[in-house]
Amino acid sequence: MISNMGFLAFLRRDLRLINRRRGEVASPLIFFLMAATFVPLGITPDAELLKNIAPGIIWVMALLATLLSADSLFASDYQDGSLEQMLISPQLLVMPVLGKVTAHWLTTGLPLTLVSPLLGLLFSLPTAGYLPMMAGLAVGTGCLSLLAALGAALTVSLQKGSLLLTLIVMPLYMPIIIFGSATAQYSIEGLAWSGPLAILGAMLAVAIALCPLAIASVLRLTTIN
Amino acid sequence: MNFQFDNVSGMLHMAGHGIYVWTAVLVSLALIAWLIINPLLQRRHVIEEIAQDVAREQLRQNASRESV
Amino acid sequence: MNWNWFYRMGSPRWFYESTSRWLPWLGALTVLLLVSGLVWGLAFAPQDAKQGNSFRIIYLHVPASFLALAGYFLMAAAGAIGLIWKMKLSYMVMKCAAPLGAVLTFLALFTGAVWGKPTWGSYWVWDARVTSMLILLFLYMGVLALQYAFDSKDVANKASAILALVGTVNIPIIYKSVDWWFTLHQPATISFTEAPSMHPDMFQPLLVMILGFYCFYAVALILSVRVEILSRERKTSWVRGLVKQATHKNLGAE
Repeated sequence: MISNMGFLAFLRRDLRLINRRRGEVASPLIFFLMAATFVPLGITPDAELLKNIAPGIIWVMALLATLLSADSLFASDYQDGSLEQMLISPQLLVMPVLGKVTAHWLTTGLPLTLVSPLLGLLFSLPTAGYLPMMAGLAVGTGCLSLLAALGAALTVSLQKGSLLLTLIVMPLYMPIIIFGSATAQYSIEGLAWSGPLAILGAMLAVAIALCPLAIASVLRLTTIN
Repeated sequence: MNFQFDNVSGMLHMAGHGIYVWTAVLVSLALIAWLIINPLLQRRHVIEEIAQDVAREQLRQNASRESV
Repeated sequence: MNWNWFYRMGSPRWFYESTSRWLPWLGALTVLLLVSGLVWGLAFAPQDAKQGNSFRIIYLHVPASFLALAGYFLMAAAGAIGLIWKMKLSYMVMKCAAPLGAVLTFLALFTGAVWGKPTWGSYWVWDARVTSMLILLFLYMGVLALQYAFDSKDVANKASAILALVGTVNIPIIYKSVDWWFTLHQPATISFTEAPSMHPDMFQPLLVMILGFYCFYAVALILSVRVEILSRERKTSWVRGLVKQATHKNLGAE
């Protein structure tokens, strides 16, 4: 039997910790809903126009909400020293990192995905768009969490790290939002939406493979110094 | 290969596009010049700094030698 | 295999002393190429049938874009060499390449915008190349911001190097995605940076300018790295000797 090398342990640990501060989990979600409301107020309440930009708006908001919550990935562990403990333990750092990021996704990306139909309703998203949008969000937010973790690792030791984190990670998010939004839009236009979704899946696969390695080496660098 | 304009003022005007072309040229040249001049200025500054450090150390050495 | 030459290249002192010898020549070549290319392109190359004279901005825009992109890869490569071989000099090159590349990216965007106004009627057009260049600028700014965020130079170097490498992996993905997105949304507009059907009379000065910009980049980068070397190695005897020479020369001149 192949050991999961700490993946499940850290997944459970982080979920338990996040459960103790449930309020924090709600904030990105509430932001997601509220900020989306700015669009009809600030741009136009016209249903026809909103319908066209709905997938894009929802994706932008999901992106911003993920960035908001990215800071908390390693911050508390860094402050109380448990991050250093993780680093000096004999097991590979890759799996614990993956566990933490999965916990983050389960408490950010997944709720966003599940709440998105509500926003779809607010924006008069055509019926054809709902399932593809959720599929795209489910896969894409996985990538978003992984890249956000990389940014969090780079800025974990800094005072005002969260703003720098946003600056670093945003250019890397651009391909994800392109294909994520395209998934819903393709379906609305009647095209095969499996295409963009497949590309999102490929991006997620590459991210799962490479990001934990990069995150682990960055954590070693920024934490111990 | 021949000169494309009737005269110099023609070249400045460039059939109406002059202001765009010359703005681009001037800004480019300005930035390029700055990218070269800035390191040169910094070099002078760093050399002055190091010279001051050396002078300060000399003073300190002389002072400690005299106090012995 | 004897790798001495490689490790010798990593010595800041070796770099400083050898560049002192041939940098003036490279500078002269740069000026020659840039001036001749610019004069050729602005005054002697034929104007474009569709775009008229505004097309002459290409002689600045295309070289700047090339260098902006190449500069990012150079920065990332320098970072990688620093990470793998722990070469101080390589990290210095990476650090100096960041602001240089960012300014060149801005220049590419600026000249592109100025070109766009008389040609397409607006300063900004959301198309694949422009958007990719904008994202490149953001990538540069991220590395720059990270470079100056840490107190420890060692951590700053390594973190910037890792970020630059992550950016490098992402650049082809970003360019391809943006390209795909815009071909989806816009009917084929004439891309003004496509030069396959360019007349040789228009293409030759462009080559000169591209070469000139490469030389300029090398000169600007080497000048910055030399300053960085002086600053970081200020406690060594060879730098002290140099400073003494420089200040004596100044005093002698007065």
